[in-house]
Amino acid sequence: MAMDPDPDLDLDMDMDMETLADAALAGDSGGEAERYEAAEAEADILRDRFRLAVISIATAEGSKAGMTVADPVVACIADLAFKSAEQLAKDAELFAQHAGRKSVRMDDVILTAHRNEHLMGLSRTFSQELKGKEPASERKRKKSSKKYERVIEV
Amino acid sequence: MDEDGTTGNSPAAETFDPDLIHAIFKLVWRRRVGKGGGGNEDIDVEPAPETSRRNRSTTANANALKVSCELLRIFVTEAIQRSAFIAEAEDGSVFEPTHLERVLPQLLLDF
Repeated sequence: MAMDPDPDLDLDMDMDMETLADAALAGDSGGEAERYEAAEAEADILRDRFRLAVISIATAEGSKAGMTVADPVVACIADLAFKSAEQLAKDAELFAQHAGRKSVRMDDVILTAHRNEHLMGLSRTFSQELKGKEPASERKRKKSSKKYERVIEV
Repeated sequence: MDEDGTTGNSPAAETFDPDLIHAIFKLVWRRRVGKGGGGNEDIDVEPAPETSRRNRSTTANANALKVSCELLRIFVTEAIQRSAFIAEAEDGSVFEPTHLERVLPQLLLDF
């Protein structure tokens, strides 16, 4: 199986994605089957784009170690990472719903890594950095907004 | 804010595009809505959360996406680094599928 990342493929995919997305979202008089197929095609496009991203990350990482990564290996990693991403989505959604929320937050994502303490620590540090970079107004809204506002007013 | 005028401003590490991750997540969540609801001949699986009838498709925070990108990036990095560990022990310069095979069980358990 030749897994050559074709640069031209990317352009085609962008166009196709829009067409298929339109077909999937806009009126479809057909049944669920059509929609399912359209969704599957969309998934394939996403999978390919995802694979390209994995290739670039893996190649960069491999060259750091002074090694080249064979195509089949990268394809495997890409597929596994994609499945991980899907699993992450499902788990994060479950956690958010469990907390009675509709939107997934950072904490939900961090929880999905609960099986690996080290990983959870890493993502927590990362999330704290993100929070730290947020402008003061954002933080005001999230944490004890009332207290903060009172301080300013008085 | 300092902006390096030189072209030597190389990013520290490559990472996933948050929009791509978001698209994948939306796909998973949209799929779930269709399956979880059972028969939905009349109700369209709309992307825009409007009706309050059922659990509308989940949304994600911008920061949550960034953390997800980071987690997935670590996954790929770990896979490569662990395989490199094994490959180096065998004095190889190219990753072989067998290298990946050997790190796979632990990798999957960790993630």
